[in-house]
Amino acid sequence: MSEMNLTPRGPAEPTASGGKSKRNWLSIAVLALVLVAGGVIVTQFLTSAVDYYCNVDEVGVRDGCDADRRIRLQGTVDEGSVEKVGNATVFTMSFNDETIGVSYDGEPGGIFKECIPVVVHGVIEQGTLQGDRVEVKHSDEYVSVNDERVTEAEAAGCTSTT
Amino acid sequence: MTTTDSNPASVEVDPSGRFAGTGTRGTRILGSMTVVAMVWLVAFGLGFSPADRDQDEAVRIMYVHVPTIWVAYMSFVVTAVASGFYLFGRSKALGWDRLAGASAEIGTIFVAATLVVGSLWGRLTWGVFWQWDARLTTTALLFVTYIGYLAVRRLGGSHQQRARRSAVVGLLAVLLIPLVHWSVRLWRSLHQEATVLDTDGDIDMDGLMLFSLFVGVVAFTLFYIWLVLHRTRVMAMEDMMDDRGLDLALASRRAEVVPTQKLEEN
Repeated sequence: MSEMNLTPRGPAEPTASGGKSKRNWLSIAVLALVLVAGGVIVTQFLTSAVDYYCNVDEVGVRDGCDADRRIRLQGTVDEGSVEKVGNATVFTMSFNDETIGVSYDGEPGGIFKECIPVVVHGVIEQGTLQGDRVEVKHSDEYVSVNDERVTEAEAAGCTSTT
Repeated sequence: MTTTDSNPASVEVDPSGRFAGTGTRGTRILGSMTVVAMVWLVAFGLGFSPADRDQDEAVRIMYVHVPTIWVAYMSFVVTAVASGFYLFGRSKALGWDRLAGASAEIGTIFVAATLVVGSLWGRLTWGVFWQWDARLTTTALLFVTYIGYLAVRRLGGSHQQRARRSAVVGLLAVLLIPLVHWSVRLWRSLHQEATVLDTDGDIDMDGLMLFSLFVGVVAFTLFYIWLVLHRTRVMAMEDMMDDRGLDLALASRRAEVVPTQKLEEN
């Protein structure tokens, strides 16, 4: 009885195996992209995500919160401080009894209002933070708009240590 | 020759012997329950639950954003557990591998949904779609890692090779979940801290909002289970097709021997 012929065949016709080979290359390409994307994300993480902001009371005190460099500063918008001066929105924000003036060229987006924590990106010039981006950092509290606590909170004013 | 246990017992077969689909009585009941839960979610999320004091109507995005990420966490844990059962179990049953793969696929889709919906929520509340803060960055890393896991599953080789290498990745990738969840505690983040899954036990959320969130979690969990059941069965069919392809190739190779043998005899 003769055995199976196991010698290599000639060039294979493009069949399902060809499709599989293409799929493997696609997977390898996706993996390479994943590695690149992972590298970008880790780089962003190390340069941006770790300690996203400094608090107002840490300017010139904490490492990385120097007043002479670009900074992201977090504080609570002081009650009654928001004004429109020309195109700019001017307000003060506080944290742990330290206050800083902010000037932002434009209308802050999101749910910006008094008594809400914000992160302002910008540089400090003559004691005022010249912001080019304002991000609202809302709290982890979810209160119904009709809740009685709303009026209590409004009556109590806003705190500067949130 | 069949090298795997790819016979999906739960796949329906019609009288002619062909596969009729991946649906069963059980999945049809589950699908109906999912539809009902989704209708409940729409009713509570858009209707009965109140607007938020600060976020106003934008808070309703939470009823999709939070359940999708919780279900994604759960799906990746299922992937890790199934990977562990495959890797450390005696039987090396491919059913565990398929469960791991199906769960990871659906979890990845849910993370993508979380990121998309979250960026819309961010635009409405923070004022920006995206920022590289700790929570967003680690969530993006989680997403990319599981895209990598899915690519690893398609690198080729036998079913057992696929199962072995993806099980190792599945067990390692799950370690990112605590990092994502605790990122807002470990580092200063634009993203708010956890409200429900918090360690202080105090849930600062309106009762009806919390119930709507619960409805969302139930709806998306049912949806996840329904999807995993179907996807696992489709994967079993794919493996079976691969094995049949191999069997057919071997049979055709054997058939080539017969004419050669006859020629030699003549």
